[in-house]
Amino acid sequence: MSAPARPQLEALGLSSTCVDVLRHLWDYLDEEMTPAGSDRLRAHIATCAQCRSYEGYQTCFLEGIARLKASLSAPDTLRARLAEKLRGEGCGCWAQAKGRK
Amino acid sequence: MNTATLATYPTPGVHSGDSAVALDVSGRTISKADAKRDAEFASDALPWLDDVYRFALSLTRDEADADDIVQETYLRAYRSWHTFIPGTDCRRWLFTICRNVFLRSRERQRPTVDLEDGEQDAIAAGSVYAAARERGYDDLYAQLDLAPALRDALDELVEPFRSAVILVDVEDLSYETAAEVMGVPIGTVRSRLFRGRRLLQEKLLTVAQDLGFAAVTAGAA
Repeated sequence: MSAPARPQLEALGLSSTCVDVLRHLWDYLDEEMTPAGSDRLRAHIATCAQCRSYEGYQTCFLEGIARLKASLSAPDTLRARLAEKLRGEGCGCWAQAKGRK
Repeated sequence: MNTATLATYPTPGVHSGDSAVALDVSGRTISKADAKRDAEFASDALPWLDDVYRFALSLTRDEADADDIVQETYLRAYRSWHTFIPGTDCRRWLFTICRNVFLRSRERQRPTVDLEDGEQDAIAAGSVYAAARERGYDDLYAQLDLAPALRDALDELVEPFRSAVILVDVEDLSYETAAEVMGVPIGTVRSRLFRGRRLLQEKLLTVAQDLGFAAVTAGAA
């Protein structure tokens, strides 16, 4: 799926700021934008139903990925093997950390 | 997060402060310095085991290989613990070691996938959304249990996009920290992340369609 260029997007009736939302929404949601840029996008999204819908869509997507964290953890067999290896290194740390995840 | 400490005991025959000894939890006699190191390692490094495992799994896509990478990562971290600066980000340090262990295990295979411009990818994501709306899937992520489909889609995602998504979206690293872990400029992380997300969304769209999640409008497919 090739990306439409800005003139094509604007020709579809998207405002210049809507195109900026398409370009920078992920930066905005990741809190990687400048405060001024974030304020500008936030203000636009608050007044543009289309961009608000797009923000909701992307937010749900990112929340879905973030939730994967809870379902992926190191298996107990790995913990046991690592404890053994570290003990072999003379590390007495494992028993201290036992039960703490 | 609890910080475990080792109890120290006076030992007969030991006089100087430098040679003070402690008993570890198994009753073994170790120097006070080693006891301190082990306690720091337990409180700073071990709690990140799940995070390092997820990252290793994202690199190897194989549980047995990930186990090996994680074990080697922690052994190297333990042996190099004196180089870790207390108070700095231990998880980032472990991720960096993990990545280096992985690269060395693969003899530094370089990614061969061409990178697109990050901005183009972000805009292309808008196209994926437009396609989703056309198919009536604009609330797809709110309605669909994403976890199984996302896990499958992540498994299929190629490097280096997979690592970028795991580090930023699953492990919640900043672009800057992910860049340090991956050893690339921030702009590259951004490009990889954006493309990775877009590819995931395309896959999810396909999954939703295959599952008959919603009626496909005529001509939209």
